[in-house]
Amino acid sequence: MNKRARSRLIGVTAIVILAIAAIFFSLGSLGGTAYYRSVEELATDNSLAGERVKVGGTVVPGSWDKKANPMNFEIRDETDDKGVGPTVRVVYTEGVPATFGDGVTAIITGVLGTDGVITSAEMITKCPSKYESAVGAMSIDDLLAGGETYVGKTVKATGYVKTGTIVAPGGESRFVVTNEKGAGAEVRVAWEGALPQGMADGSNVVLTGAIGQNGDFVATNVALEGTDK
Amino acid sequence: MIVFGQLALGLALLCSIVAIGALFWGRSLGPRDGESITNAGYYATFAAMGAYTVTILVMVTAFFAKDYSFYYVAQNHSTDASSLAWLYSISAVWAGREGSLLFWGWLIALFAGWVAYQRMDKTDDLSNMGIAVTNIVLALFGAAMLFSEPNDPFKLTPPEFLSNGQLIGQAAEWGMNPLLQHWAMILHPPTLFIGYAGLTIAFAFAMAALITNDASKLWIDIVDRITVFAWLFLGAGNGLGAIWAYVVLGWGGYWAWDPVENASLLPWLTGVGLIHSFTIYKRRDGFKRWTILLAAVTFALVILGTFIVRSGIVQSVHAFTEDPVSLWLFLSMIIGSVAAAVIGLWLRWETFAGNDEFESLTSKEAAYYFNNVIMLVSSVLVAYMTMTSAFPAWMPFGGQSISATSFDLLARPIGLVYAFLLALCPILLWKKTDGTTLWKRIKWPLAGTAVLFPLLMWEWFANLRPIYVFMIAQGGEGARKLLAFGPEIVYDVISILAFLAAALMFSTTVWLFVDGSRKRAAARGESVWASLVHIIFRARTQSGGYIAHIGMAIILVGLVGSSMYVRDVRLNVPEQAGATFQVDDYTFTFQGISEDQLKNGDIVAKATFAVQRDGVSLGTVDPGLTKFARQGQTRLDARVLIEPLRDIFVVWEGSEEGQMSVNVKINPLISFAWGGFGVLMLGAALAAWPKRAPAAIVPAAPVRKSASSKRKVAK
Repeated sequence: MNKRARSRLIGVTAIVILAIAAIFFSLGSLGGTAYYRSVEELATDNSLAGERVKVGGTVVPGSWDKKANPMNFEIRDETDDKGVGPTVRVVYTEGVPATFGDGVTAIITGVLGTDGVITSAEMITKCPSKYESAVGAMSIDDLLAGGETYVGKTVKATGYVKTGTIVAPGGESRFVVTNEKGAGAEVRVAWEGALPQGMADGSNVVLTGAIGQNGDFVATNVALEGTDK
Repeated sequence: MIVFGQLALGLALLCSIVAIGALFWGRSLGPRDGESITNAGYYATFAAMGAYTVTILVMVTAFFAKDYSFYYVAQNHSTDASSLAWLYSISAVWAGREGSLLFWGWLIALFAGWVAYQRMDKTDDLSNMGIAVTNIVLALFGAAMLFSEPNDPFKLTPPEFLSNGQLIGQAAEWGMNPLLQHWAMILHPPTLFIGYAGLTIAFAFAMAALITNDASKLWIDIVDRITVFAWLFLGAGNGLGAIWAYVVLGWGGYWAWDPVENASLLPWLTGVGLIHSFTIYKRRDGFKRWTILLAAVTFALVILGTFIVRSGIVQSVHAFTEDPVSLWLFLSMIIGSVAAAVIGLWLRWETFAGNDEFESLTSKEAAYYFNNVIMLVSSVLVAYMTMTSAFPAWMPFGGQSISATSFDLLARPIGLVYAFLLALCPILLWKKTDGTTLWKRIKWPLAGTAVLFPLLMWEWFANLRPIYVFMIAQGGEGARKLLAFGPEIVYDVISILAFLAAALMFSTTVWLFVDGSRKRAAARGESVWASLVHIIFRARTQSGGYIAHIGMAIILVGLVGSSMYVRDVRLNVPEQAGATFQVDDYTFTFQGISEDQLKNGDIVAKATFAVQRDGVSLGTVDPGLTKFARQGQTRLDARVLIEPLRDIFVVWEGSEEGQMSVNVKINPLISFAWGGFGVLMLGAALAAWPKRAPAAIVPAAPVRKSASSKRKVAK
C-alpha cells in the first residue's frame, strides 16, 4: 500500500467534493432557486412577495390574449378540476412557448409581486408524460363573469344540470346548468344532439361551445364529467 | 378478452413466485438433491416470460381491434390517420402508466428468460440466485399491476362511457396525447425500458454474488454484455427523447433539466461508473465493492426515476398519492435495493475486498476511481436537486425548486473536470505513469490538439462569442441565463477549456488506435489497416469503449455550441407573401400558408418561408401547426434547416390579426452533438456485441518496451 498516493487520492477527492459543495450552496445567492408553491398557497399567503416562486397550474381557458404585450393569463391548480379554486395571474414577458393554450399545464418561475401577480420570464409547458388530456373547463361563474369576452368564442365549461330543466330537443334551450350543485349562477344550454347516457338532474356535465348573443350557451358537445380521469 | 389478459398477468405473477420459491428451496437442498427443484425454478421463469408475452399480445390486439372495453385502450388509443397510424397502435401500449409498467415487466421477463436460457445447462448457485432476485423484482412489478387499481392495465371501461362498442360523451375525447404521436415517441419509451429492464439483471447478479459469497468475476462475465447493452439502450432512449423534445415540443433545445429528463439521466450516469468498474473488477480484480454498490444504486435510480416521474412528489401530474400500493412497492424497491447492497457488503466485507491498492495519482486506477466518484456524486446531486421542492425547509433548498440555470452552473464545471479526466485516462497506465512515459504517450496527442484546438477557437471567436454579445444586448431571460455565470470571462473560460478538453480527448483516443495498430503491424508484419481492423473487431470491449470516448469528444464540441451559444429571436411577421425578416445572416421570405384537413378532422397548417444566406438560397422551411380536432389541442411542428455548422430552428406559433408569431433559434454545432452521440452509441454497440470466444485482450500496459506489449492496443 502506497500511503502517500492514498492520502493524495483522498485529498483530491475532498477538494472535488468541497468544490462541488461550494457551488451547490451558492446557488441560492445566484438566483437559481425558487420557492415551489401551489396556486392555492400563493393566492392565500403573500409572505413570499418579492421572492422568486415556481408554480404549476392549468391555464384558465379564455384568461389570456396573445396580442397583449406583455401577455398575461391565469392559472389554477391542476387538482382543481372543477375550476372553483383560486387563480393566480401571471405576466409573461417572453414569447409564448409553442405548446401554450387553454387547459395546458404551465410551470411558471418568476417574481411574486405584492399584488399577487407573478412576473415571469420562464415558462415550461408540461412535457406530456401526463397521459390524460387536461380537462381545463371553466366554471359557469367564470363564464358569466367574462361577460362579452366569451360571446362567440368556443370554450369548455363545466356545471351541474338544474333539476327539472331537461326538455326534448326542438325548443330554445335543452337544459340549464348551474355553477354548484343545485345553486349558483345558471345558464341555459342550447343543444340539439343526443344527451349523454346516464345524464340526469344534478349530473356534472362538461360543455363545449360558445355563449350566443342572447346569453345562452350554444353547445357543440355535451358530455358527462369523467370522474375517473 | 380482457379476462384473458388479467389471467395471464396473474399467471405471470404466480410463475415468478414459484420460481423464487423453487430456486431458494433447491438451494437449501444442495446442488445434488435440489437439482430438480432448481430446474423447476428455471421452467417457472420461462413460463413467466410466456405469460407476460401473452399479456402484451392481448394488449396489442386490443389496440388494433379498437376494443374500447379495455379502459386503457379507451384512454390511450391513437386517432392518427397518417401512414404511421398502425405503429401508434403498438406504441399506445406504452403511452400510459399502466401499459408502461406492463411493457417494462415484459422486458424484465424477457431478460430473465434469456439469462435463464444461457445458464440452464450450468444451474450454478450464482445464476440460480441471480435469476431468483430477478424474479423478485418481476413479482413486485406483477403485484404493482394486479393489486393497485390505478396500475392495472386490464381494467374495464365504466359502462356509462360505452355504447355499442363506441366511446360516448366525455370519453369520445379520450385518446393518446397528440404530442406523443411522433416517430421518436414510438421508439423513445421502448428503448428506455429495454435499458431499465437490462439493468435489473446487473443488480440481480450483484445481489447473487453477495448471497453466494462469490467474489470471483463469474457474475461480471454473465452480466457485463447485458449491462453495456442496457446502458446503450438507455443512452439511445435519452437521445431519442432529446430529438423529440427538440422537434416536437418546440423547445429548440434538447435538455432542460426537467424532472422527467433527469430521471432517465441518473441511472445512465451511474451506469457509466458501473461499466467502467466492471473493467477493473475483471482485469485488475479490484473495485469489487464499488461495482456491487454501483449496480444497486443504478437499479435504485431506475426505480427512483419512475418514482419521481409518476409519484407526483415533484410535479403533481399523475399522482400515486391516491395509490399507496405502488407508493410502497416502489419506495421499498428503491430503499430495499440500496439497503440490500449495503448490508450485503457489510456482511461480506472481506470477501469483496479486492485488489485496491493505489500506487499513484497518475494511474488508470486513480482515473477510474475519480470517474466513479464524479458519476456517483453527480447523480446523487442531480437526484437531490430534482426533488428539493418535495423536501422540508430545513434541508438545503428544501421546498424550493432549482432552475435549469442552476443545474448548468454546477454541471459545466463538473463536466469540465470530467472531460479532462476522460481526455487523460486512456493514456495513463495501470499502477503508475511516470513523467517520461507520460510525455511519450502524450506528445503526439498534444500535436493533434495543437491542430484541432485552433480550429475550434476560430469557430468560437468568429461565430460563438458574437452570439453571447447579441443575447446580452437583447436582454430578457436569455441574457439572465448567461449573466448567472457572472462576468463574460467566466463564460468564455468555460467554453474555451471545454474546447481544449474536446480536442485533447479526441487526440489521445485516436492516438491509441494509431499507436496500437502501428505497433501490432510492426510486430506481426501486417499492414496498419489490417491491424486496425483487428483491434476494432477483436478487442471489442476496449475498442468500443474508446470509440465511445471519441463520441464524447465530438458531443462536447456540440454541447458547447448548442447549449451555451444559442441565438434565440422572436418576431412578428406580417402574413403577406413576400414579407421578409432577418436573423443573423439568414433572410427569411414568407411565401404562404397551406391548410389541409385530414380524414379524422385534424387540420394541418403550414407556413412556408424561403431562406437565404448572403443571397444564396438554402431552400425553404415550412413550420406547421396541427390542430387535433378530437382533443382540441394544437401541436406546433417545428422545422429545422440543417447547415453544416448550425441548425436553423423555426417555429410558427400561430397568427393573430395578420401577424405571424415566429420563433427562430440558431443552434451552433448541434450536429456535432447528434453525430457524436451516434459515434458513442456505435462504440457502446461494439462493446455490447456478444462474445463468441473469449476475446484476446490482455491488460497491455507497456511497462517495459517488450515485444509482447506491442501486440495489443495500448491501455
